[in-house]
Amino acid sequence: MMGALRRNTELGLIILAVVLTAGAYALASLGRTASIPANELPFVGVIAGLLAAAHIATRRLAPDADGMLLPLAALLNGLGYVMIARLDHKLAGLQALWTGLGVAAFIVTLIVVRRARDLERYRYTFALIGIGLLLLPLVPVLGQNINGNRIWIRVGGSNFQPGEIAKIVLVIFFASYFVEKRELMSVATRRVGPVMVPDIKYFGPVALAFVVALGVIFFERDLGSALLFFTVFIVMLWVATARTFYLAIGAVMFAAGALFSYATMNHVHQRVVNWLNPWVHANTSGYQVIQSWYALAAGGLSGTGLSLGSPQRIPAVATDFIFSAIGEELGLLGTTAIIAAFLLMVGAGLRIAARADSPFEKLLAAGLSTIIGVQAFIIIGGNIRLVPLTGVTLPFVSYGGSSLISNYILLALLLRISDSRTTAAATPADETRVG
Amino acid sequence: MNRQIRGLGILVIALFLAIFVQLNVLQVMRASDLNRHPGNTRAVVRDFSEPRGSILSADGAVLAESVPTGDAFKRLRRYPEGSTFAHITGYFSLNYGSEGIEQQYAKELAGRTPKLELKRLSDILLDKKRTADVILTVSKRLQAIATFALRGRRGAVVAIDPKTGAILAMVDAPTYDPNPLSSHDGKTVSAAWNTYLKDPAKPLLPRAYREAYFPGSTFKVVTSAIALQNGVTPDQPVYPRLTRIPLPNTNNQFLANFGGESCGGPLKEGLRVSCNTTFAQIGLDLGGAKLSAGADAFGFNHRPPLDLPAVAKSSFPPEQAFLRDKPAVAKSAIGQQDVSATPLEMALVASAVANNGVIMTPHLMAQIRDSEGQVIDTYQPKPWLTAMPPTTAQTLRDLMINVVEAGTGTSARIPGIQVAGKTGTAQTGRGTIHAWFVSFAPAADPKIAVAVIIEDQPGTNDSTGGAIAAPIARAVMQAALQP
Repeated sequence: MMGALRRNTELGLIILAVVLTAGAYALASLGRTASIPANELPFVGVIAGLLAAAHIATRRLAPDADGMLLPLAALLNGLGYVMIARLDHKLAGLQALWTGLGVAAFIVTLIVVRRARDLERYRYTFALIGIGLLLLPLVPVLGQNINGNRIWIRVGGSNFQPGEIAKIVLVIFFASYFVEKRELMSVATRRVGPVMVPDIKYFGPVALAFVVALGVIFFERDLGSALLFFTVFIVMLWVATARTFYLAIGAVMFAAGALFSYATMNHVHQRVVNWLNPWVHANTSGYQVIQSWYALAAGGLSGTGLSLGSPQRIPAVATDFIFSAIGEELGLLGTTAIIAAFLLMVGAGLRIAARADSPFEKLLAAGLSTIIGVQAFIIIGGNIRLVPLTGVTLPFVSYGGSSLISNYILLALLLRISDSRTTAAATPADETRVG
Repeated sequence: MNRQIRGLGILVIALFLAIFVQLNVLQVMRASDLNRHPGNTRAVVRDFSEPRGSILSADGAVLAESVPTGDAFKRLRRYPEGSTFAHITGYFSLNYGSEGIEQQYAKELAGRTPKLELKRLSDILLDKKRTADVILTVSKRLQAIATFALRGRRGAVVAIDPKTGAILAMVDAPTYDPNPLSSHDGKTVSAAWNTYLKDPAKPLLPRAYREAYFPGSTFKVVTSAIALQNGVTPDQPVYPRLTRIPLPNTNNQFLANFGGESCGGPLKEGLRVSCNTTFAQIGLDLGGAKLSAGADAFGFNHRPPLDLPAVAKSSFPPEQAFLRDKPAVAKSAIGQQDVSATPLEMALVASAVANNGVIMTPHLMAQIRDSEGQVIDTYQPKPWLTAMPPTTAQTLRDLMINVVEAGTGTSARIPGIQVAGKTGTAQTGRGTIHAWFVSFAPAADPKIAVAVIIEDQPGTNDSTGGAIAAPIARAVMQAALQP
């Protein structure tokens, strides 16, 4: 009963997302050429088809799953696509392909992962895969240096960011590892001043995560991913152990790492300088974020209208600054809608975490939700100069194949956890399918 | 764990709240500051590719128009009259922003005023955009005649309708061609810009309203107006005949008459021959306070509300400045020392006398029409300042008629039309003079007031204001009154 209601809600919301996307697509074309695009109907057909496939898959494979997440993702993905199509026609074709692959990955994940708890068993396999994926770009022939970041590998004819998949795989690992060790890690055995701290050997993982994050910054120059890994790691550790102490030590280590990187690594130093005062180098290194500010200001409350602004003036607008492009053409109303959508998504994810039965599922759902929330915060904050700019994608909205596919996998995992029926009654048949 | 998960939710809400606050700051509170930021060329670029209205002269000539092009910007701004109207229309440049009417009426030309947008709402689905044309008060004919009269000189001519404040002609020399500055080719634009910028004659400077000069003897019109309001009449008192006048509080410093001439007599005579010693004495008699207040009433130290960007103020020293410097009172009364005036201001001084003491708000816009010819806005004349009472203005007018009929301004005489005027020959302090002439006509029912300045002339008798500036003013007045 519950499942049917959720699925019907999901269907209704998906239809709403399709209508909004189709409307935005038509408006973007009206703004540009004053005519409804010739491919409006095929466009609506394709997105409706893709979402119908995802929806039917959830009906079949996870009937009791949360009904909010998929429509929210569809809306973000749809608006992002309209924006990309309006910015760069060539990228739009590819983004459509990535969306198709993302939905396929979503369905495959639901098929393969029949019970979230099964993932717990392969924890060290995931750890190895995760670290391997993270290091892959450093492999000589495979790795690609793009815009000074070594976070790409070249597969076939296209570039892929393995770090995007790695973040999910590592969150699975963290969840299972912390669930196993959380008793030990939360017992405070020593007293340092007024604070009780756990035994020194349990700092090992924290130290390791710290070193990995710094390594990613140093070798791959990927500040955003490093920040994301480290934050998610500390947050999950805190959720698992209920020890606020870990948040404190995480903050201290973060500050130390930030100061160290700022002092020793030129690319980090540059980012911070551009954050503190971009106006000094308004035509060189500060150009991008200043153009982003101009775009947001040009948008004002209600925006210039789709296709009627000039967000192309921001370098890398389709990947790193899509939020500012939305801010210019849809105004504060549009940007507020986007952050509301992310907040609802994270809220739905955390609700799934709170309601999940097993500690592993709780922690996994919390970790995955944190990825969405923190990643959105890092890039939006960078766009609006709330925090230094780091080049992560805006989940579901930005152009990017690796990002889109991994976010759909993430979504499928959250839906899987929320599908209480599978956690309640698992059949032996499911077990064999997982194997 | 659920407590931590709830805590996590609160943390995420806090982070997103910070985003929301910053978005409000950027998109609402600071939006207009950022939009106007000098480094922000977004507005220019946006306007560049959009339809833009034309600027038209009072007699219907196209002064600026957007023509379709095949390149990325879709439209190119053209100025068919070349340099003749450059200092009025300004330019519309991708690199250097805009200037003149192009800047002042940017919203109207681009169709972004509330009135125009309301109209546009109704045709939002039709593929058209309402822009507006700006029709100026300046006619192509008079502007061309003034340009011709000023040819080969460095200076400015401002002609104004004293009853409405409408600018009838406004010419600067040298000037520039706005066409290359508005080109789409970056190299053409910067080459033209740099050439104009390096030129010592400053062709980009709109002298008529953005450069202030010593007004010299034309300022005696203002001094006379103040004197007439303070007990002096055209015939009383009678000032002594002198070649020079000793300055108070100095060791034998003198203020001499032009060319060492000897002159004196009552105000009427003093203005007719432009007698420095008489006006220095009048200034000393009036005192700094009355001179300052009187000059203020004529618009000195105020920004004339002309509808162009960055209109310069003319200046007259404040009362306090005279407390320690008595000689300055004498020098200021004849328009020297720290007195400076734009050609626009001196035209307004003439218009005050012409219009019974009232200075009307100067303006260039006559009408705004939308792209379908419908009138959106028509300029309504309004007074700016009251410089003096009507009786004073009438007396002063008679004195100025006398200057043209029997004094230093005889070369401004027009057969059949009574002209009132005043010459000026201002010492620049670098061995040259600025030749000035201010006038209006017909004296009984003025239709045009003119100020002319010719910069940096050799200080000889045949290059005084009366000799070289007055004929230019005459040509412009004659053309306006006898078409």
